[in-house]
Amino acid sequence: MDAATPPRTEPTHTRRVSSWREHHGWSAGASLRRLAARPLGSLLTIAVMGLALALPLAFYLLLGNVQQLGHALGQDQAINVFLQPDQAASQAQLLAKQLGDRSDVASVAIKTPQQGLDELAKLQGFSGALDALEQNPLPFVLMVQPKPGADAATVARLIGDLREMRSVAQVQDSGTWRQRLDALLGVGDRVVIALALMLALAALLVVGNTVRVDIASRSEEIGVLLLVGASGAFVRRPYLYAGIWYGLFSGILAALLALAIEFALSGPVARLSQAYDGKLHIGGLPAWLLLAVPPAAAALGWLGARLVSAWQLRKAA
Amino acid sequence: MGDLAPCIPYPCRDTAGSRRGRAVIQFDKVSKHYDGGHEALSQLSFTIPTGEMAFVTGHSGAGKSTLLKLLGVIERPSHGAITMDGQNLAKVRRRGIPKLRQRIGMVFQDHRLLMDRSVFANVELPLAIAGIARVERGRRVRAALEKVGLLSYERQLPATLSTGEQQRVGIARAIVGRPSLLIADEPTGNLDPQLAVEIMGLFAEFQQVGTTVLIASHDLPLIKRMRKRVVVLDHGRLVADLAAEEVL
Repeated sequence: MDAATPPRTEPTHTRRVSSWREHHGWSAGASLRRLAARPLGSLLTIAVMGLALALPLAFYLLLGNVQQLGHALGQDQAINVFLQPDQAASQAQLLAKQLGDRSDVASVAIKTPQQGLDELAKLQGFSGALDALEQNPLPFVLMVQPKPGADAATVARLIGDLREMRSVAQVQDSGTWRQRLDALLGVGDRVVIALALMLALAALLVVGNTVRVDIASRSEEIGVLLLVGASGAFVRRPYLYAGIWYGLFSGILAALLALAIEFALSGPVARLSQAYDGKLHIGGLPAWLLLAVPPAAAALGWLGARLVSAWQLRKAA
Repeated sequence: MGDLAPCIPYPCRDTAGSRRGRAVIQFDKVSKHYDGGHEALSQLSFTIPTGEMAFVTGHSGAGKSTLLKLLGVIERPSHGAITMDGQNLAKVRRRGIPKLRQRIGMVFQDHRLLMDRSVFANVELPLAIAGIARVERGRRVRAALEKVGLLSYERQLPATLSTGEQQRVGIARAIVGRPSLLIADEPTGNLDPQLAVEIMGLFAEFQQVGTTVLIASHDLPLIKRMRKRVVVLDHGRLVADLAAEEVL
């Protein structure tokens, strides 16, 4: 009577570890087989989670590109200083030199009235009107580029100084719209973070609910396992792996969807870049982010399954 | 079984030949109240020494199943102490329950088998949970299946077996972990008389090798035939505790 002969022999620590690893392997395989056994339900869960995780990625992509766009546009936005119409070339050059010596100015370029007229002539519909002019009404324009990295206060002080100069008729400043754009991008950043958190929570709830239903449908099996001495960890393990699989697959789907969105945007973005003489460099999602999404989603799936299974098993115990 | 004598507290005594064991199970003034005030057990006190086989009997609702549930820590007593090898089951923490249950083999009337796993996998379950190595598991599962006469069924699913065979799978699962205590709740409830005797014979064999066996049953003819100690309950109270030789 071999099977029933006491005493019991306690397994060694090494055997326990080996058995623990074996059960992890079994749980990973069994949970994957259970997912495959109901393909439609599993695919729907993965699709919902994948879409939920892809949305913040898409917003991140959009926001990143708007930031790039703002940065690219901002590079060309020197402060345009329109001199009084009676200012001669020598006075314009003198003023340019004075401004160029300032510590907060990187460079100053002079645009002559003739250059201004030529630029206008290139614009469609203007050439005929310009031919009708008896003389060039355009003033000298100084294009003042602030020092790179100059903060908003420094630039504002520079603009104030320029406006107080007698020879200056008007100062055209792009700083205000840059500030507004930066503020909008700041809001966008927060929106993306809030959206990511909310959708991650949604993904967590989706996994949690799926695992809850799974546990409820296998309550008899769980009852038997507990009666024959299974610990909570032993019973929970296959469900945790199910959460990991749901998360991992939905993370892969989210990354693929984000790449698809990036691909769909690549044509229009290339045309936009060409419109800015190639100065506009709009990038896609960083590789590290795309690679991080599946494991992060798997961790999210594990967490959802862990929370729900702990709660469900407490009820079953 | 003869007359049900007035309750006499059962003394600790020699069992299974000359072997004198420590008290593996001791009920000390155990009561169990359910929500709503229903008293399933009342001031129950008795002792079952190591290696003894005993029946718990009584009419439906007498408290037989509750008694076994208390032993399996499926329920906790409202009052009193239940000790198993000196350990008070009423005070076992939730975390300690799995370890305790690994020392107890449980057999149920409805078998409680996992229908989507093979006979082998069902019997293997307690060993996998206990962390026994795969080779050792295989050896012990086959030994247990051989003992209950189902070795050739190891690859089959339980649903393909008869009720009696399923019950034997349940017994194999209960004994494969070499429990110090084997409890069975109406294990022959769904079986024909001949099969019921065979199953009881199996339990008697486990007792003979030192396993303590406690069976809840209301099958009086079968209990008489087995001639083992009988604990009789009535409305949750111990009304008789008959030694094997007193069972007629």
